[in-house]
Amino acid sequence: MGFNARLLLAALAVAAVGAAQAHHSFTATYFEDRTITIEGKLLQFMFRNPHSFVHVEAPDEDGNLRRWAVEWGGAGQLSGQGVTSQTLRPGDIVTIEGNPGRDPGDYRLRMLYLRRKSDGFDWGRRPGETFN
Amino acid sequence: MTAPGHRKRRERRFLIAAPVAAALLLAAHPAGAQISLAGEWVGRYHEDQSDRIPGDVQGDFTGVPLNDAARRYAEAFDVTRVAVLEHQCQPYNLPHIYRGPLQFRIWEEKDPQTQEIIAYRQYLGTYMQWRTIWMDGRPHPPEYAPHTFMGFSTGRWHGDILTVETTHIKKEFYRRSGIPSSDLTTVVEHYIRHGDVLSHVMIITDPVYLTEPYVNSQEFVLLERGNQNWLYNCEYVMEVPMPKHEVPFYLPGKNPFIEDFADKFGLPFEAVFGGAETLYPEYMPKLEALMNGTAQ
Repeated sequence: MGFNARLLLAALAVAAVGAAQAHHSFTATYFEDRTITIEGKLLQFMFRNPHSFVHVEAPDEDGNLRRWAVEWGGAGQLSGQGVTSQTLRPGDIVTIEGNPGRDPGDYRLRMLYLRRKSDGFDWGRRPGETFN
Repeated sequence: MTAPGHRKRRERRFLIAAPVAAALLLAAHPAGAQISLAGEWVGRYHEDQSDRIPGDVQGDFTGVPLNDAARRYAEAFDVTRVAVLEHQCQPYNLPHIYRGPLQFRIWEEKDPQTQEIIAYRQYLGTYMQWRTIWMDGRPHPPEYAPHTFMGFSTGRWHGDILTVETTHIKKEFYRRSGIPSSDLTTVVEHYIRHGDVLSHVMIITDPVYLTEPYVNSQEFVLLERGNQNWLYNCEYVMEVPMPKHEVPFYLPGKNPFIEDFADKFGLPFEAVFGGAETLYPEYMPKLEALMNGTAQ
């Protein structure tokens, strides 16, 4: 096993140990069998426990601008994946894929993938980029 | 030089004194025979994984001997209620906290004069909770004493099993899908160590929401190298924009997700919501009849 592979395994082990306890059930809160994509301006990044939140102003399926609340990993878990409180800034233009909330009036998503247009920063496609 | 008579008397005195000294030494270390639970322990989630890590599917009420009051509560419960500001950082209570992702540390508090164990202390990383399990025989406080999320605990050894009884626990939930626990809940725990594995068994009694004790178990593994991820800095924020003072809920009969779990796994809702009866092997013929449509 190469050094990089060992490093990855070690990082995954630490991430697993430091898993934040979800204060709610994802399965019960989101439709995990559905995915939608939004693109818009980042309004607020709340890097915290039990989960971080990203608020984005983006149109809904009818073209009306909405404030979407996108749920992300807890600060402890994301820190192990290289995400910090400074990773995202208000005004960033981002594309986000996520599971929609069960109540369509909530305009909430569970983060699956994020990409920032300006520099190509992305999260969610590499091994270990997940949260619970 | 020692005369032969003196030597014999000295040998006799030694034969009498040695066992007495050994007995005194053993009596001076009554807790020394107990297995040690000290260390840092992290969960293994092979048991009930889907319930404990990603979270249960909405409408999963299986495995819990819930009563009608619990059913009414669960029917009205909207899982997004935990996003309300006041609830975001609310810790899980004792019967709930061992059921999720968790690492915890156990250490011993010893009397400096006798070196007897006065208490076991625990620090639980999730929600940064502290517990004390008193081993000095003190009684539980009176009923009116304040309740906390970890409650008041006393312990006793039964062989190598540490048995802990806890009262004065704050109300919370047995499961995130909305099965409530009351502030009359009491818990009996058994800590059973097998080498580097710690089995933790809970027997939960709740006269308000359960018809009989709710039993569950989970395993923890000794963390040999430890780690530094012991903080849980929860902050209150407006996670999802919603009107101030709004509390999500469903009116009776209006919860659209109540049968999600039953639908997903092809089970009759009656079996999922059935409580104690459904926990026993004797229920299987009834379940089979419900599923093939031959139930009376």
